[in-house]
Amino acid sequence: MALVDINFADELEQFGAPKTLECFHCGTCAAICPLIDQHFPRQMIRYAQIGAKDRILERGAELWRCLHCGLCTQTCPREADPGEVILALRRYVLHHWRSSDHV
Amino acid sequence: MENRAEASARNDQTARVGVYICHCGGNISDHVDVESLADKAEHLPGVAAVRRNMFMCSDPGQAMILEDLQKGVVDRVVVASCSPSLHETTFRRVLERAGVNPYMYEHANIREQVSWVHHGDAATQKALTLIAAATAKARLLQPLDPLRVEARQHVTVIGAGMAGMRAALDLADRGFSVACIEKTPWVGGRAAALDRVAPTGEAASDLILSLARRIMQHPSITFYPCARLVGFDGYVGNFSLDVEIVPPEVPNDEELRRAHEAWTAKEPVFVPSRGALIAPVPSTPQRFRLETGAVVLATGFRPYVPKHGEYGYGVYREVLTLPQFIEALRDTAPQKGSTLTIDGRPIRSMAMIHCVGSRQIPGLHEEGPSGHLNEYCSRTCCAATLFAAAQVRERFPQTHVFDFYRDIRTYGRGQEEIYQHAAKNKVLFFRFEPENPPQVQPFDGPGGFPLTVSVQDTLTFGEEVHVPVDLVVLAVGMEPSDIGDLVHLMKLPVGADRFLLEVHPKLRPVEMATTGILLAGTCQAPMDIGECCNAASAAASKAAVLLSKGFVTLDPFVAEVDAQKCEGTGACLEACLREGAIRWVEGQRNGQTVRHAEVVAALCLGCGACVAVCPTGAIQVKGSTLAQFEAMVEAIAAEVAA
Repeated sequence: MALVDINFADELEQFGAPKTLECFHCGTCAAICPLIDQHFPRQMIRYAQIGAKDRILERGAELWRCLHCGLCTQTCPREADPGEVILALRRYVLHHWRSSDHV
Repeated sequence: MENRAEASARNDQTARVGVYICHCGGNISDHVDVESLADKAEHLPGVAAVRRNMFMCSDPGQAMILEDLQKGVVDRVVVASCSPSLHETTFRRVLERAGVNPYMYEHANIREQVSWVHHGDAATQKALTLIAAATAKARLLQPLDPLRVEARQHVTVIGAGMAGMRAALDLADRGFSVACIEKTPWVGGRAAALDRVAPTGEAASDLILSLARRIMQHPSITFYPCARLVGFDGYVGNFSLDVEIVPPEVPNDEELRRAHEAWTAKEPVFVPSRGALIAPVPSTPQRFRLETGAVVLATGFRPYVPKHGEYGYGVYREVLTLPQFIEALRDTAPQKGSTLTIDGRPIRSMAMIHCVGSRQIPGLHEEGPSGHLNEYCSRTCCAATLFAAAQVRERFPQTHVFDFYRDIRTYGRGQEEIYQHAAKNKVLFFRFEPENPPQVQPFDGPGGFPLTVSVQDTLTFGEEVHVPVDLVVLAVGMEPSDIGDLVHLMKLPVGADRFLLEVHPKLRPVEMATTGILLAGTCQAPMDIGECCNAASAAASKAAVLLSKGFVTLDPFVAEVDAQKCEGTGACLEACLREGAIRWVEGQRNGQTVRHAEVVAALCLGCGACVAVCPTGAIQVKGSTLAQFEAMVEAIAAEVAA
């Protein structure tokens, strides 16, 4: 269960991802991502959209597997900049890691 | 027995029947031995030529018949092929092209009635029997003339919404007189409740007013407000409609009273949510008759009303339908601040839920009081919902919009951009399965939101997600207007979805089974305003095509009385199913004035009920006389072996 945090997307903007909500879950980013994990980065982006902070912090380690190759950003049909969302989430997790029990 | 003697006496010994047997690819010839069939058919009485073709309906097939007729080898035709509903007209036209009366034609169905249901020798035998019967009838065929009835250059449009107005204007511009009857005092229909209209963003009021002004000024259009159809009679070209005008109580209706006071003969008065007033409100009840040539139905739709408690509707004041929300949004403008305020409550977060009252599934959704489920997609709610969502996001950027959908399709030209536009404007989507619809519940968490919408969201990988909201908007579908009285009065066919049913969705999309009654707009199916106007213009064109010659031709297969034989028993009048189709007239016989029956051809249904009861055989249905039937029965009984 996750309670949607309607302000999280605005918060993430401070960390450098202004277009998080423009993703419409076509899955192109996950299909092209060279990492093995099935739903990366789409699942993280979804958590960012609904503001599921706990999920993001729990799975924070996943974010560091990203090589920032840029394929997702290149292929995103919505120009929602998925690579940038992942980087912003890293900054968000770093910012919060001391106060969180997850890391 | 008397009839049988007569039949053989009248059996035309000079008739030269051409029998044309179709292989229908292999549809027929795979099961029927067509070659032996042709050999046998040559020996049937009266047959002058037998020919076969792979596809008799093809150009070479038709040319074969045409040549035989033109050379005088045959003077009447039997085609043994598919069902007459497919190609009877095709072959009658061949006769016409050859200069032969098109009714010297008989059809034998050896596909649906033979090769598709029988196999082997039995199939060939039955095909021969059917051809023998058709040939026997063909020998007795008489040339017939199609009926020709005068057509009034007048059309009545029922309903003055966008579709009704569009149809009325198109017809009036083509030179027809048009009567437009509308049950309310207003024109504009449901569009009057809208604000800006997707995808172009024009104001709905502008669309209504541009048509309303022209209706008002057009010399050929008579508009009857507060009018209902109470009587219906006649046939294409010559319908009679009884119309009743019931004046509304103007003083009890504040908006109507003010609009009525503001009304002058120059400009329509527009009142949001009601429509445009283009004629004075009638003050006295009235009943009159309209004589008209065709009727265009434009009776429209009504939005689905959610059941009490459906997504919290009727339970929480924060739950609105999309039409209610559109009106609220329209009436709140202009507003200060970047948060939408409705009823004085700031809306920080709102949910929109798709497919409410549409695409309902038997066993899953609860049926309405009438026992119906709306299993169809209402087509317009996706675009309307996303258009409203994008408007909220643009005008009130601090208001978050959450969109819960089963499927989204903003179909149609220029409409897919609405979806893109809403997503660009940061509308957040959740997708649910019909068996796990969103739940609307009171919320006691942080932020003081009154409600929460919980859903098992397939976009969040099946997790249950809770969205705190200040407002829930239900995108309700369309249901047909309550027109049970019209359906009953005009005997209109209604589909399983309760909308009015056209003859054929592709080949005759705006026509009803009764010639001269046409469909325009959402009385037929959910449509947006553009599609309504398309349908209305199509209906207007069809009406114009029917009436523009000044007469209508109908098939001549109607009853006919032999005045010399009629003894005036009146049995036919009693048996007749169509009121007015048979009447008494006075005639002369042996120097005496006698009363005998006469058929009003344009009203006759050709059902033959009168033929069955006439004790003297004085009444016959043309193209299906007793003599012809008896000849067919005799041919069948003769049992020619295939």
